[in-house]
Amino acid sequence: MIARSQRERLLEAAVRVVAEQGYAATTVADLTREAGISRTTFYAMFEDKEACFLAAYDVVVDTLVRRIASAYEAEEGWPRRARAGLAALLDALAEEPELARLALVDVGAAGPAAQRRYRAALQRLTPFFDEGRDFAPGGRNLPANTSRMAIGAVAGLISDELAAGRAGQLPDLLSEVLFATLVPYIGPVAAAREAG
Amino acid sequence: MPPTSPPNGNAPPADLGGLIEKEQLPAGREALAEPLISHSQRERLLVSMAKSCASKGYGATTIADVCEPAGVSRATFYELFKDKEDCFHAAMELSLADAMGRIVAVYSPDKPWATMVRDAAAAFLDLLANRPEFARMALVEAPSSGDRAFELYASGKRVLQSLLERGRDDPVEEEAIPSSAGRAALSAAESLIVGQILAGNTARLPELLPDIVYITTVPYLGQEEALRQVREAEKATPPAGG
Repeated sequence: MIARSQRERLLEAAVRVVAEQGYAATTVADLTREAGISRTTFYAMFEDKEACFLAAYDVVVDTLVRRIASAYEAEEGWPRRARAGLAALLDALAEEPELARLALVDVGAAGPAAQRRYRAALQRLTPFFDEGRDFAPGGRNLPANTSRMAIGAVAGLISDELAAGRAGQLPDLLSEVLFATLVPYIGPVAAAREAG
Repeated sequence: MPPTSPPNGNAPPADLGGLIEKEQLPAGREALAEPLISHSQRERLLVSMAKSCASKGYGATTIADVCEPAGVSRATFYELFKDKEDCFHAAMELSLADAMGRIVAVYSPDKPWATMVRDAAAAFLDLLANRPEFARMALVEAPSSGDRAFELYASGKRVLQSLLERGRDDPVEEEAIPSSAGRAALSAAESLIVGQILAGNTARLPELLPDIVYITTVPYLGQEEALRQVREAEKATPPAGG
């Protein structure tokens, strides 16, 4: 049990430290100091800084996906479900700007493995978007990568806000990310009506 | 309101060169040799930088990683570049110059907007497929490799965004769609491309043309017309898996 709580403490510390000073500038010593554990304990759990960062990243993504899913599933009808899921995502990111930067911005600078982890995290949102295909009248005719692209649009809009230092205002972005989500499935006129 | 959104006017950018110049992009001043054989030490270093970024990322790349494969000494490296970032920046400039050159070549204010989008997307995908290391550097590494590289990446993106947002003659319910629609569509296309690059499918990027035509035109043309454009694009695209 002690080992487990040390691991959790370390992962929380990794999120805080990387979000504060960036991945490149973070050392294992920073992580052990912040978590209050020894170097030996660190290396018993993780091979290196990257392995620790990736484990911390997975915890962050799990939490975000759970929040999205519970908001999404509480609604009926795909456009309303999408709105609820996106609102939950924006709220969660705005509440913890450090975590938001880690999840969407810092991950890009943490090397190829982290970049693949980020892609995998985006893929976990696919089921929420694929439902748009069933909802759309001509859904089966849409290009194969429609969901991937819609997810990329949402991630791009959010990353632009984070890069501009506007994490706190993310909830104001709901109408724009909802439009970007809906437009490939139901077209611009219906998407604008739903997002307005 | 995002600072990158141009006014909602539909006038085509009559002078694309001027637009590129305004973004201080190095169009036309340098271009990658074709085929990519690097004669000068500087060029070899730039190619080597791109390759190292592709294999281990910019952060983990050392000066030795850049010099050794290029067969260039450390001393020469520091004669040509101030530091690692300076070299990376020069490599980014080179690839952006190449990309802008391709876009300028297919651009014409007289072409229908959708045709221009398709031609530009096709040229861009073709360039990325043929320059896998530079594709990865420009789209995967540059966005997260320091302020200077990010600024170059962002200005290239703004040029593409201007192309997308202007020059349409048949807008659908323009006033209703958010001003970020073009930026979102570009991010959608970029995300798909980067996903394929990271999955090791860079050579097959041209197959994504129909998807990318759809996502970039649907906010403006509506689904029916965007799907018609997809069918046009499919005629010009190698079959998936081929």
